[in-house]
Formats: sequence, C-alpha cells, structure tokens
Amino acid sequence: MLELADLIFIMLGISALLSVPATILAVISRDLLKALIFSALQSTMYTLMFFLLMAPDIVLVYIAVSIGFMSLLIILIIKKVGRYERY
Amino acid sequence: MKGTRARDIIFITLIIFAITILAIPTLLGALSSIPPIDLRTIAINYLNNTYNPFNQTLWTSSPEAVAAIVWDYRGLDTLFETVVFYSAIVAALALYREILGEKDILKGKGLSVIVQRATAVSMVGILVVGFATILHGQLTPGGGFQGGAIAAVTSVIAIVVFSRLIIDKSRLSYKRLLLIRNAALVGIALIAIIPIIPFMFGDHTFLSFIFQNQVKAVNSFSYPQIIVDVPMGGSIWFYNLFEGLAVITAFSLAIIVVFYSEELSRKTIEGGEIGF
Amino acid sequence: MGSEIQIAMYMTVILSLYINISICMYGVISKPNLIKKLISLTILQDSINMFLILIGYRLWRPGIVLQPPVLLDWSPTSEVLKQFLERAVDPLPQALVLTAIVIGLAVNIFLITVILHTYRHFGTVDMDEIGRLKRVVIVEETA
Repeated sequence: MLELADLIFIMLGISALLSVPATILAVISRDLLKALIFSALQSTMYTLMFFLLMAPDIVLVYIAVSIGFMSLLIILIIKKVGRYERY
Repeated sequence: MKGTRARDIIFITLIIFAITILAIPTLLGALSSIPPIDLRTIAINYLNNTYNPFNQTLWTSSPEAVAAIVWDYRGLDTLFETVVFYSAIVAALALYREILGEKDILKGKGLSVIVQRATAVSMVGILVVGFATILHGQLTPGGGFQGGAIAAVTSVIAIVVFSRLIIDKSRLSYKRLLLIRNAALVGIALIAIIPIIPFMFGDHTFLSFIFQNQVKAVNSFSYPQIIVDVPMGGSIWFYNLFEGLAVITAFSLAIIVVFYSEELSRKTIEGGEIGF
Repeated sequence: MGSEIQIAMYMTVILSLYINISICMYGVISKPNLIKKLISLTILQDSINMFLILIGYRLWRPGIVLQPPVLLDWSPTSEVLKQFLERAVDPLPQALVLTAIVIGLAVNIFLITVILHTYRHFGTVDMDEIGRLKRVVIVEETA
C-alpha cells in the first residue's frame, strides 16, 4: 500500500525525469523558439518540484520570473536577432 | 560541419564520463544519508526562535521563517544582494544612456479594444495579488521579491497589449520610475539605520545594532511586534514593502529599455567602432 | 517498504539534476549561438538552485506530515513549537535561493542587453561568425 509520502516522492521523481528530455530538446533544437518553449516546459517541471519540496516562497517567485519574464524577454530578442541557428 | 561533429562526440563522451564519476559516489552514500533524516542544528535554531514569544530577545515576531531569515537574521546579506541587483539593472540602463527617456519613433496602436479592456481589468487583479503577497510577507509565503515579480508582470502585459505609446502617455515615465526605485532603496537604508540614530547623535549609553528588528538583551528598541492580534514582523514588513517597490520598478525599467524599437536603439551604438 | 521507494526516488531526482547540469554545460560551452547559450545558462542556474532546495528536504517519518517553514498558530504554546520543529523543512536554503533567483534574473536582463548590443555591432549573434569577422579585420589591418 502506498502512503502519502511515497506518492509525493514518486511525483517528485517523475517530474525530475520529465525535465531531462525537455532540457535535452531545449539545448539541441535548432529553432530557438522551440528551444525556448522546451525550456519553459522544464521550468514548469521544476516549479512542480519546488512545490512538492515544501518551498512555496520559491514557487511564487520562480513562476513569475522563469516562466513569465525570461520567456517573454527571450522571445523579444529572438524576434530581433532571427529565429534559426545556423547549424 | 565536420569540426562540429567531432566536438559533439567529444562532449557527449565527457558528459557520460562526468555523470558516471558523480553518480557512483552519490549512490554509495557520499552525500551522507539522503534525504537528510534530521534538521541541521542551524535550521533548528532558526525555526525555534523565529516566532517564540517565550524568548523575546531572539525572536523576529514573524511566523514565516523564510522572511525572518531573509530580512532579519541574514539582513546584511540581503542588503548586499539588493546592491548587486541594483547594479545589474543600472548597468543594463547605462548601455542605453543615449536614448533613455526619449519618445519612440514607432507609432503602434496595440491590440483590439476588447483585448485592451479585458487586460485593464485583469491588470488590476494582478496588481492586487502582487501587493497582497508583498504586504502579507510576514504571515504567509510571500514577500518583497515574490510580490514584486508578480506585480511586475502588469508592466509587461501593458506594453504588449497597449503598445509602447502607453509609456509616453501615462504618468509612469522613465524618470518617475527611477525616482520611485531610488526612494525605495533609501527607505531600506533608513529602516536599517533608524535603530542606531540615538547612538550616532551622542547617546553612547544606547547600544543597538544596524538591522535591529526586535528587543535585544542590551536595549529596548523595537519595531511594532503585534498590531491587534496580527504579528507584524517588526521591520520585516517595511523591508518587504520597499523591496517590492524596488523590484517592480526595476523590472519595469528593464522592460521599457529592451522594448525600444530597433531604429531608435541603433542610436546607442552610433559613433562606435563597428566590428570591434 | 516505504522508505526504499522514497530513497530511490530521491536518487532519481539527484541523477536527473546531474544530467541536466552536464547537458547545460555542454550547451553553454559548445553551442555558438549566444541566445542558445543564454537559455542553457538559465536552465543551469535553475538546476543549481534546485540542488540547494533539495538538501533542505527531509525524510518522511511515519505519523508526521511535513509542512513549509511557516508557523500557522499566532499564539503558540511550547507544544506547538515542538511540533513545528518536527514537521518543518529547512528554511535556510529557501531564503538563499529566493534572493539568488531574483538576482539571477537581473543579471540575465543585463546579458540580454549585452547580446542585443553585440547583434547591433556585428549583425549576428553567432560566436563563430563573430570570430571570423574579427579575424578578417585583423588580417586586413596587419597586411
């Protein structure tokens, strides 16, 4: 029988495992906009982990900063400097 | 490219090697017992003293341990981190010093009227949530950094939805934002040095500390502890308020600067040696 | 069986963070595009912060439900305080990471403005290309 604590740890492990492919895709994809979207996905997984690790302060600041602010600013400079990597 | 492929293969080998090197000791227990079974002594001290009415010489009168550590026990750390924060934003602004405060050439109209009205309503909501997070920082998870980051989202949405013209039309121009920001930082400094003002003006029997919050063994100076029955956290409430204002204005300034149109921004590099 | 699952999952988290950190280092060092470097750098910062939070966590014991380090009772007795000590997680790493995230954002904003200036100077954000342009100019000047 699984307890509450086991479920929380399993969710923690699953969100950590899901953040790995998001990071890999963010680093290797040539399309910078896609890379940014994968990076936001990884940030979402990290937010879930912060929440499960009992850090509500970090969740509040991390959602606004990493998913909202950085994504917007990087979309802005991608619009200015061009969307695709050369190779 | 040929060179790139060789570089990638070398790097992937190195990554696998490094992960193995790190993972084996971790699995064998090099980081002691993980997850930790007991709290560290320092954490026990902080948690025990944060809101402990029986030992009022060490308490902060803030039930939230994180805010208490950020602004009371480790207040000087946070002060210097605020200085780093200030310098980073000032450095970003300094790169645009030629065009700061100018009207943009671009004439945008923004999105449609429906979107603008809906955004105006939701912006009020976001601001309320942000300020509630700032002002309840000593009771619930939240505080200056968190609430500031939430409330700064309004300026981003405003610029995207109403176009850049809103900066020129509204009263929150670049200079006023900078003024609010500097006033907030002066506020932080004032709250920090208010406890030592009697000592500075010659009363050498009044021994107190910079960043003092509640009563200590050597003196009786104290910021408000409890109003009616709500813990106020003493100076933590003021620090949260000022830090929240500083964070909101800093991010708004950064957004305003980065959102300048490309034609105007080219002015910032005029006269420079292109290519070097 | 409970605690074996917990320890195995905790190990999984640590190993995934190792993988994330090494991949991001690969991205920062090897990718020539400055924006890709910036994206990798932000993920790297987040992973390091996650490590700091992770060491503040503690094992669940039977009969104890963990809680964030926030005291909910505003007129506590010493019993309440003792229970709080048994249930709360470590607040110190959270306090350090909190400021680190905001300052990281400020430094990232500075990096973004620097990247924009680089683009305006050279017309590209590709480090290899910028290096080639500079080499051409230097060779022309010395020849």
